Amino acid sequence: MGLREFVVRRLVQLVFTFWAFFTLLFVLFRLVPGDPTSMFLLDGMTPEQREQRIAELGLDQPLHVQYVNYIEQLLTGDFGQSFIYREPVIDIIVVRFMNTIVLMGTALFFAYLIGVTFGALMGWWRGSRFERGGIIVTLVARSSPEFWVGIVLLSVFVFWLGWFPSSGMRTTGGELGGGFIQRYGSIDFLRHLFLPALTGAIVYLATPTLLMRSTMLDVLKADFVEIKKAEGLPEMTVLYKHAARNSVLPLVTVMAIATGAAMGGSVVIETVFNWPGMGREMVRAVNTNDYPIAMAAFFLMGSVVILMNFVADLAYVYLDPRVEYE
Amino acid sequence: MSLLEIRDLKTYYRADGGWVRATDGVSLSIDRGETVGLVGESGSGKTTLAKSIIRLFPDNAEIHGGSIDYDGTEITDLSDKELRRRIRWQEISMIPQNAMNGFDPVYTVGQQIVQVIRHHEEGVSKADARDRARDLFDELGIEPDRIDDYPHQFSGGMAQRAMIALALALGPSLVLADEPTTALDVVIQDRILETIKEKQAEIDSAMIMITHDMSVVSETCDRIAVVYGGRIVEIADARTIITNPRHPYTLGLRNAFPDISDDDQELISIPGTPPDLVDPGEGCRFAPRCPFAEEDCWEITPEPQEYEPGHFVECHRADEIDYLQSAAGEKSTWQDATTGDRDAVVDGGIVDTSGADATETEGGSADE
Repeated sequence: MGLREFVVRRLVQLVFTFWAFFTLLFVLFRLVPGDPTSMFLLDGMTPEQREQRIAELGLDQPLHVQYVNYIEQLLTGDFGQSFIYREPVIDIIVVRFMNTIVLMGTALFFAYLIGVTFGALMGWWRGSRFERGGIIVTLVARSSPEFWVGIVLLSVFVFWLGWFPSSGMRTTGGELGGGFIQRYGSIDFLRHLFLPALTGAIVYLATPTLLMRSTMLDVLKADFVEIKKAEGLPEMTVLYKHAARNSVLPLVTVMAIATGAAMGGSVVIETVFNWPGMGREMVRAVNTNDYPIAMAAFFLMGSVVILMNFVADLAYVYLDPRVEYE
Repeated sequence: MSLLEIRDLKTYYRADGGWVRATDGVSLSIDRGETVGLVGESGSGKTTLAKSIIRLFPDNAEIHGGSIDYDGTEITDLSDKELRRRIRWQEISMIPQNAMNGFDPVYTVGQQIVQVIRHHEEGVSKADARDRARDLFDELGIEPDRIDDYPHQFSGGMAQRAMIALALALGPSLVLADEPTTALDVVIQDRILETIKEKQAEIDSAMIMITHDMSVVSETCDRIAVVYGGRIVEIADARTIITNPRHPYTLGLRNAFPDISDDDQELISIPGTPPDLVDPGEGCRFAPRCPFAEEDCWEITPEPQEYEPGHFVECHRADEIDYLQSAAGEKSTWQDATTGDRDAVVDGGIVDTSGADATETEGGSADE
């Protein structure tokens, strides 16, 4: 079986996974107690108004009709209206989602870049002071609660040194350009991004570092590492081109899962730094029974997890020639 | 002058209890184009000895003394960088036991050959290096197009050939072959050995063949060094070692590989375990397992003696060759040997190897 067939097959699997995921979401939201109108009953909604509202939402239809409608709406990107904002869900959620992707993407990128580099060195210099110190630093970072890291960074860099703004994504009153670069590439934005991203990076750092170190220790036992040394190649070539290159394989899967989870946003980081991302939005949506928002949020997060796993599978084929196309 | 001259080499490993003397005062010289076999059981120090030449050992190992003269250069004085640039692979390359694991699995074999050529030889284009890799494959009996295959796509024998191609890519003057055929079945083993010999003769490189298999060394080597407890206990030309050995350990090793054509010959193993290399103490290191050990053997470390030109033996009783050779062929000799309890023998004042353990090894005498 060739690469092309493999990709096609994985794509078909992807479609089925998505279908299963959609269905699960549908069932889940039909199982939750109450219905979208229950919130408004207290506000004096009459039974007639309530029924009218339910009919508007199509909830009086038989389940299978609702199901078909639901799939149709998902496929067209129509998540309905937020009960609270009274605006299309898609408009609200896409902005929040982008904010989270930028924040968590940056955090993950640096966490994995630094984690892989240092984890590899820690494995390479096993038993050295560098390794021992590295493990301690990593474990401290790992064990520190997110909010604490955030608060420490805030007090040092904002309240003491005054280098960075304390919260939000942009300085209020600043011009908000339309394009992506103007939105997410401006110096002002990057200054706002730095601390929350750093907090995320610190929190995410431990997994890639420790995993990289331990896979390095395994790979370094392999005969080929000795042969590459015997070939007279410089240490750094053996370390990064051969040992680390082989050690990084298990990290691909872990990274895919971590990315999926991170896209749900971090409620804590977003709260500490007042970052308008998915995490906070989702908590708000659940607390206020804003089902359309909550469902769209779950939908996006789940989709990212599924997509990232697909990407990880493809990356694996590219990175490890031994992977057989089933 | 010889190509490689090792004098009194000591390579020790740091361990909890002190230093493990993996190689403890070894002298060995190798001529150009010559093949020397290092034979011995696991843990005897044969691999450490070979890898010490290119300083290829873990961080906790170090050369504690001695010298390694390679073609006029004192290798132990070279910095790591110089060693990598001038000696490793360019001059001394190696073939590992399991070729499949000797290649990095994520690169094609061709990429790895090209990498080492271009690293050591400046100004060689990628295309030229690839052509050389293809030629090497062709000479070693592998389809040249297979340089674009990944290691896991090769069979064991093919991978070993590819590894030989890699080892010879820079035309080294010395190849360290660490049990190059142990992982292969016997038929392929023979062909690979033949290929190695052919290519070696062609580029006139010397070789150190590390193995525990007497049949392999007898086929391929000009000289054989028998390694025990971090020392070379006997060295001579291959014929002498096979037909006329003097050291009891060599005799024991020979027994462990019986001649297939001789129906009556029994497989006799050497009882006991390799010696403690942290604190070997005085005396012959083989004494605890030697059926011929006398009082001197426990107390005085034997010095190498030359019995015939080029035939060195470290054994106090090596001059009793006829007795040793005939007695070593009997299974009972080895089964009744004292096994390791030095004090019991010495303190008793009587060194009677056959009597000392008679009560312990009752089963042993039942064969007679």
